[in-house]
Amino acid sequence: MIRQAAFTLAAVALVALAAVAVVNLLRPAPPLTAAQQARALEAELRCPDCQGLSVAESRTTSAGAIRTQIVRQLDAGQTPAQVRDYFVARYGEWILLEPASPVWLLIPFLLIGAAAAGLIVWLRSARSPMAAPSPTLVDTPAAPDAAEAVRQRVRDEVEALDA
Amino acid sequence: MSRSLSWRRLRWLIVPLVVLPLVAVLFVGFGRDPSVIPSPLIGKPMPSFSLTALDGTTLSSRDLAGKPVIVNFWASWCPPCAEEHPVLLDLAKRYGDRVTVVGILYNDDAEGAARFLSRYGDGGWADLLDPSGGTAVDYGVTGPPETFFIDAAGIVRGKQIGPVTSDVASAQLATLGLVVAAP
Repeated sequence: MIRQAAFTLAAVALVALAAVAVVNLLRPAPPLTAAQQARALEAELRCPDCQGLSVAESRTTSAGAIRTQIVRQLDAGQTPAQVRDYFVARYGEWILLEPASPVWLLIPFLLIGAAAAGLIVWLRSARSPMAAPSPTLVDTPAAPDAAEAVRQRVRDEVEALDA
Repeated sequence: MSRSLSWRRLRWLIVPLVVLPLVAVLFVGFGRDPSVIPSPLIGKPMPSFSLTALDGTTLSSRDLAGKPVIVNFWASWCPPCAEEHPVLLDLAKRYGDRVTVVGILYNDDAEGAARFLSRYGDGGWADLLDPSGGTAVDYGVTGPPETFFIDAAGIVRGKQIGPVTSDVASAQLATLGLVVAAP
């Protein structure tokens, strides 16, 4: 009875949590200011003449030029996505510190996942006949008799050796 | 007995399933030189510019229409730029009537450029100042020297990252539709 109540409570809590998460995801984020958009873009774009630094982290001339370009384009009414596309059209995906992964890259991981799933299924199906021993081994009267015959023979031979 | 048999069968199923995709991913990943970044500008119209040359005149990309253009981003502080300079001088001398060469300074100023040209030779083509670096960004330049080969219609046909050698120059001029004479 208590167990059932606990289950119900847990289920209600889970549903409530999921509902809160969905509402939060659906609620539109407050619009970013132009300065916030610019900062976000600077952090996303690679500084062309640095090693693995974002534009935001660098003070080189080209990083400065990209910062200027970001501000100019946002001021001209471009969306952050359009600004990002502008740089990708010139530098390629390389300019993004986190480029979008190509879809084909999923295929090997899917195959490995399928192999792992297959492994689990095979292992389970291989183990189950062992867990429940086949009735032939238990019910055949011949089996205990055979064992007894072997034991008897061993006893006879040991006696023969002792004698 | 039956268990070890299924294991054996299982192993032959799992091994190719895991190994083949991994090998494929590694083959593609290691077969690629990560320092080679193909320019997305190839096949696209050249980004426009309007910049001041070292001699004070203004040159706009619109003025270049009708003839193939070689746009060379360079700097006086860049050793490979000095290395490729003789090739550009030779190219300008031999094809100057059919090709326009334009230099754009990358992160450099007029004084540095003048020193470089007096030391390594001035080919007589326009060298443009890009103090804000905005034109370099428009061309997706990551560091000098980078050279763009643009056809008569203003479409980018090739890009060389690093110094232009005479072989690179011949190949690129051929893609621009110029008959390349044997050196």
